[in-house]
Amino acid sequence: MEAISLIVRSIFVDNMIFAYFLGMCSFLAVSKNVKTALGLGIAVTFVLSLTVPINYMLENYVLKAGALEWLGEQFAEVDLSVFSLLIFIAVIASFTQLVEMVIERFSPSLYSSLGIFLPLIAVNCSILGGSLFMQQREFADVGIATAYGFGSGIGWLLAIVGMAAVREKLEYSNVPKPLKGLGITFILTGLMALGFMSFAGINI
Amino acid sequence: MALSNKTKAVLLGPLNKNNPIIVQVLGICSALAVTSKLEPALVMAIAVTIVTAFSNVIISMLRNTIPNRIRIIVQLVVVATLVTLVSEVLKAFAYDVNKQLSVFVGLIVTNCILMGRLEAFALGNGPWPSFLDGIGNGLGYGWILVVIGFVRELLGSGTLLGYPIIPKSFYEAGYQNNGLMMLAPMALLLIGVIIWIHRSQNKELQETA
Amino acid sequence: MNRENNVYTILYASIMVIIVAVALAFTHQSLSEQQTKNVNIDKMQQILRSLHINASTNEAESKYNELIKNSYLVTPQGEKVEGSEGTKTSDPAFATDIAVDASKGLPVFEAEIEGRTIYILPMSGKGLWGPIWGYIAIESDGSTVYGADFSHQGETPGLGAEIATPQFGGQFDGKHLFRDNTFTSIAVVKPGQLVSDRDYVDGISGGTITSKGVNAMLLESVGQYKNFLMNLNAAKK
Repeated sequence: MEAISLIVRSIFVDNMIFAYFLGMCSFLAVSKNVKTALGLGIAVTFVLSLTVPINYMLENYVLKAGALEWLGEQFAEVDLSVFSLLIFIAVIASFTQLVEMVIERFSPSLYSSLGIFLPLIAVNCSILGGSLFMQQREFADVGIATAYGFGSGIGWLLAIVGMAAVREKLEYSNVPKPLKGLGITFILTGLMALGFMSFAGINI
Repeated sequence: MALSNKTKAVLLGPLNKNNPIIVQVLGICSALAVTSKLEPALVMAIAVTIVTAFSNVIISMLRNTIPNRIRIIVQLVVVATLVTLVSEVLKAFAYDVNKQLSVFVGLIVTNCILMGRLEAFALGNGPWPSFLDGIGNGLGYGWILVVIGFVRELLGSGTLLGYPIIPKSFYEAGYQNNGLMMLAPMALLLIGVIIWIHRSQNKELQETA
Repeated sequence: MNRENNVYTILYASIMVIIVAVALAFTHQSLSEQQTKNVNIDKMQQILRSLHINASTNEAESKYNELIKNSYLVTPQGEKVEGSEGTKTSDPAFATDIAVDASKGLPVFEAEIEGRTIYILPMSGKGLWGPIWGYIAIESDGSTVYGADFSHQGETPGLGAEIATPQFGGQFDGKHLFRDNTFTSIAVVKPGQLVSDRDYVDGISGGTITSKGVNAMLLESVGQYKNFLMNLNAAKK
C-alpha cells in the first residue's frame, strides 16, 4: 500500500535528521538521555502528524495558485502562495501551544523534564520542513500527506533516541579533549547518517 | 567611523569565540543540507545574514511596544515576513540558485540563530548594536557554511562555483572525485573536524563533562 | 496605554497582520512578472538541453527563438489541432502543462538543427517523492532519439536526483522508440540488466523508484504521442 511504503521511506531513507539535518538544534541538546529523547520524539511526531495534513488542506484549498476556485469562478486567478510561510508557521505555533497544554495537564513530570524544549518544538526545523516538503512534493491526497507527517516524525524519534542511547554509552569513552561533547556528537551523527544511507535500496 | 571596543566585540565575537554554529550550537539545521556546492552555501549565508540583521533591527525598534504575551508570535511574524520577501526576490532575480536552495530558504524562519539572537540581544539593545549583532552572527554562520561548501565542492566535484579547478592532468593520472563528499553525512563529519581544530586553538571552549 | 492591556494586544496584533499582508502582497505583485519570465526561461533551457545545447539564462530566449521554428498541439490521434500554431510563450504549445491539463492537445515543438527537423515532446510522470518531467527530442523518423533532458522536484540528492545529470540523459541518444513498427518505448532497467525486446538504458543505482518512474513516464507520457510519431515514421518511408 502506498501509504505504508511512504512511511517506511520517510523513516529510513529520507530521515529528517540523517538525510536533511532538520531539527538538529534541540536534538543535540536533548539527546543525552534516552527517556527525555523519547518524550520529545513522541511530541514531535504528534505535532508533525497533525500539522502536515492541516497545512496540506490549507495549501490545496486556500493558498496555491487557483486553489480558491471552489469559492467561485472569479477567484480562480488568485494566488495566495506568498502567505504560505506565515500561515504554516502560525498553524505550527498554535499546535505546539496545544500540545504544551495537553502535556502539562496529563504528564507534569514530562512537562518539567522537557522544560524549554517543548515550546521550542514550534521552531524545530523538522516540523516546518515537513510542511515545506509537503508543499514541494504535491501529495495525491490528505491521507498520504498524514502518512508522510507521521513517518517523518517517527524517523526523527528514531534518530534522536538512537543518538541518546549512543551518547549515554559515550560517557565511558576516552574522547580527545577538543572533541568532547559537541564535536564527537557531530561526528557520531555523521557516521549514523552514513549508516542510514544503506537503507536507500529499500523497495516496498 | 571608529568602532568602540564594545561594538567591535558585538560584531567580531560571533566570528570566533561566540560562533553561532560551533559554539552556541544554533542554526545547524539549514546549514548542512545546502553545502554540497559552494554557490548555494554562499547565497544561503548572505540570505541568513540579511534576515538576521534586519529582523534584529526591526524587533529592536519595536522592543518597547511589544505586548509580552505575543512576543514570540511577533518575532515569528517578523522573521517569516522577511524570509518570504527574500524568497520572492530570489525567485525573481536568482532563479537557478533558488531552485537549488528549494525549501531551505523557507527554513531560515526556524533557523535557531534568528530566534536565539532576537531573544538574547535585540530585545534588550538598541537598533544599531542589534544590526551589528545580526551581521556578526550571520557572518559567523556564513564562514562555516562557505568552508564546508568549499571543501565539499572541491573534493566532491573538482570545481568551485562551477569552474573546474582540478586540472585534467590529475584526472588522467587516475585521480577521481571523492564521491563521499557529495553525500550529506560528510557535512556533519566536516563540522566535527572544524570543531576539533577550533577547540584545540581555543582551549577554554573545551567541554569538561 | 498599558502594554499588557488586552485591547492593546489585539490592536497591536491586528495592525501587524495588516502591515505584513500589504507588504507581502505588494512585493508579490511587483515581482511576479519577473518571476514568470524566469520560469519561462527555465523551460526554454530544458527544451534546449534536450537538443544538447546548454544555454545560459541570458542567451536562452534568443537561442530558443533561433532554433524552434514551429510549435503546435496535436490530438492523441496524431493530428495537428487547428489554430494552435505559434512559438510565443503565450501560445498553446509553450503555455500548456501536460501534467495539469492535456485536454486541448499535446504540445510538439519543431527545431531545425543542421538542416534537419527535430521534434521535441514534453513528458510528465511521478518519481519517488514528487513529479518528474522532461523533454525528449526525436528525429524526423519518429523513432530515433536525438537527446533527452530530465528534471525533478524533490528526489533524493545523489540518488534519484541524478536523472537530471547529462550522464543519465545522454544515454538516450540514438536509442529507438519503435521496433518493428510497434511503439516499445525505451526501458530503464537496473544497471547490468539486459533487455532483448526493446532499446534500454541503465537506471540509477540506489534510485530504483525514480528510475522506474522514468521508465513509466517514457511508456505512458511519450506513449500518448504514439500515433503522431507513427505518422512521422510513415511519412519518412
